[in-house]
Amino acid sequence: MGMRVNPDMYSVILNGLQTNAQQEDQALQQVASGQKLNSLSDDPAAAASLVNLRMQSSSDTQYLQNISSLTGSLNVADSALSSVVEALTTAQSVGVEGTNPTLNASNRQALAQQIQGIQQAIIGLANTSYNGEYLFSGTAATTQPYVADSTSTSGVTYKGNDSANSVEISQGQAMPISLPGSQLFSNATTNVFQSLQDLSNALTTNGNINGATTEVQNALSYVSTQQTFYGNSVDRLKNAQTFLTQEQTQLTETEGNTLDADMATAVTNLSQTETTQQALAQVGGQISKLNMFDYLPTP
Amino acid sequence: MSSLFGTMSVALQSLLVQQGALQVTANNIANANTPGYSREVPILEESPPILSGNTMVGTGVTLKSVQSVRDNILDLRIDQETSQQSSLNSYVASMNQVQALFNETQGTGLQTYLSNFFNSFQSLATDPTNSSLRQGVIVAGQDLAGAFSQTSQNLATLQQGLDQSVTQTVHQVNQLTAQVANLNQQIQEVSNAGDNPGSLEDQRDEALNNLSGLIDTAVVYSNNGSVSVTTTNGTLLVSGNQSDALTTQVNSATGMHDVYGQGTDVTSSIAGGQLQGLISARDDSIPSTQSSIDNLAAGLISAANQQQKDGYGLNGAKGVDFFTPFTPSASGSNAGAATTMAVALTSPDQVAASSNGTPGDNGNATALANLQNEPIVSGQTAGDYYSNLIDQVGNDVSNATSEQEAVGLVLQQLTNQQKSISGVSLDEEATNLITYQQAYEAAARVISTVDELVGATLNMFTPS
Repeated sequence: MGMRVNPDMYSVILNGLQTNAQQEDQALQQVASGQKLNSLSDDPAAAASLVNLRMQSSSDTQYLQNISSLTGSLNVADSALSSVVEALTTAQSVGVEGTNPTLNASNRQALAQQIQGIQQAIIGLANTSYNGEYLFSGTAATTQPYVADSTSTSGVTYKGNDSANSVEISQGQAMPISLPGSQLFSNATTNVFQSLQDLSNALTTNGNINGATTEVQNALSYVSTQQTFYGNSVDRLKNAQTFLTQEQTQLTETEGNTLDADMATAVTNLSQTETTQQALAQVGGQISKLNMFDYLPTP
Repeated sequence: MSSLFGTMSVALQSLLVQQGALQVTANNIANANTPGYSREVPILEESPPILSGNTMVGTGVTLKSVQSVRDNILDLRIDQETSQQSSLNSYVASMNQVQALFNETQGTGLQTYLSNFFNSFQSLATDPTNSSLRQGVIVAGQDLAGAFSQTSQNLATLQQGLDQSVTQTVHQVNQLTAQVANLNQQIQEVSNAGDNPGSLEDQRDEALNNLSGLIDTAVVYSNNGSVSVTTTNGTLLVSGNQSDALTTQVNSATGMHDVYGQGTDVTSSIAGGQLQGLISARDDSIPSTQSSIDNLAAGLISAANQQQKDGYGLNGAKGVDFFTPFTPSASGSNAGAATTMAVALTSPDQVAASSNGTPGDNGNATALANLQNEPIVSGQTAGDYYSNLIDQVGNDVSNATSEQEAVGLVLQQLTNQQKSISGVSLDEEATNLITYQQAYEAAARVISTVDELVGATLNMFTPS
């Protein structure tokens, strides 16, 4: 006598169908969501790495936002300083013109007034603000840096401070975002406002116009040198932006590799489970037709 | 010498026996789809022969008994695996809900809130006096605190749901053990009366199998037909016709129901069945997840508060606590840190972006943003700690799922084997039906033949 087998063939088919249904569900979920990871347990290590990837990607997005808002203020500051340099260049030529011996006192007075106008214009530029904040007052962003002051020899007083803020433009890379007015427009030997005041005075009194013009020239070259900070900073931001954009592309790609389903495989898996299901159902249909009772003689 | 009437009596006996066998067949066919039913076979035996003159002559057939065909050892193995499978099923079902709370693969979870919180400080650093950026920091902090609190409460709700299931399951265990004890008694009574307790045994097997789905069981068959049941760790459940009910009692420390057997706390020694799965999720996995969330919250609260105090607000005032401060318990536990997490600052001006009191300084905003890269929770960054938590929760489920699949396969195999022994085969029953029918017809033919013979004999004496 042969071995007795489980007479309930359906239970075997049912097990097969259930296992197949689970696989079908998984494949369908992948196709529907386009993701191979749909819950943490699908691949815990990948899900965990996803957290780190997204933390980093989110930081990068923030750094890029920082860069874009900083680029705005740096450009405004840079162009303000270009105007300052331009104004000082004009002042310098006014000074040279003032040394002309054919000029009379009233001619020189007119030139002195022109210098005073330039002084005012530069004070205005030094008080440039962006988004409601002064660009050249150090970290005292809400304080107007330069105010006219007749008691001061330079004609102005600096109300800002000597500090500068730094902002991170990528992880661990901080960059100073401004120079304080006290550093931009003056140092131990040079002072933009003082030089203009001196030139104006020299023109009025027919004093050492030559010397005062040289003073303005020195101030001009000093400010020009300082201005390069802004150009360099914008370049630095551009570099950081390029780097961050590349890194983000990479992170997005890695995230995609971690998360996205391989559609071809998922669809193939899905149709495979369908084939299996059909086969099992067909076998199930066959079984029901085979029964000894069908062969018993009818009474 | 044998007699015609003796032959008649043998044939009659045969008719009755074949009828009995047909009844067994009919019963098998009727129960072909009854869960837990084991097929029965009639045990036919030759009647003792008698001495007729010098010859021993057979006296026909008797139906000795009807036996259920089953393999008790196999049944026990199935119960063990059922126990394992049910435990894993209920654990996976519970933990699937837990992992859904942290489903970073679908973008739900805490990562976004963590990132937004740190980024809000990074953003503030570009423009530290900007009031909308300051407001942004407060909002990001509130969102973060809200997410932690919500997650922690959801975990607590899941845990309470599981606790309810534990007490319900204990109740079901008690119902089944009472049923088994009751069946034990009936089986003994039927056996003592010399009858076949097969169908009662089937019922008991079904009850035992259901019981093993709820709790791990060790079953011992005794000679009198009854079974005694204990947990695998020896907690008595059924002995003879007595069942020993499990009880539950609230543990004042955890607020959860502990399970008691015979007055002893057996909660942690339950080693299988739905009860184990529920208890494992309720007492191990969820509390461990909860405590990780609490540690993370406590780390963030303490680090943010400390850094805030190193700086100055927009008004130049010394920084104050960002979040409502959390004090760990005397034993160092951070329990409750996540649930109670909330922003303490009442005004955006209080965000301590400045490191020196100058309103426009951003030194401390940068420092606050950089807490993202500082080891503020158990020597890890918040991101790494959270990432490990994700790994842990995912692994809890995926390990249990793999085990579930393996046990499922074993169980399928065993069930198949069991059915190959005990299952009703309609082909087999149809064959039996014909066999017994033919034997019945043959016996009937013997009777009619003997009748003719008797008639012929009687006719011999008919006066003509």
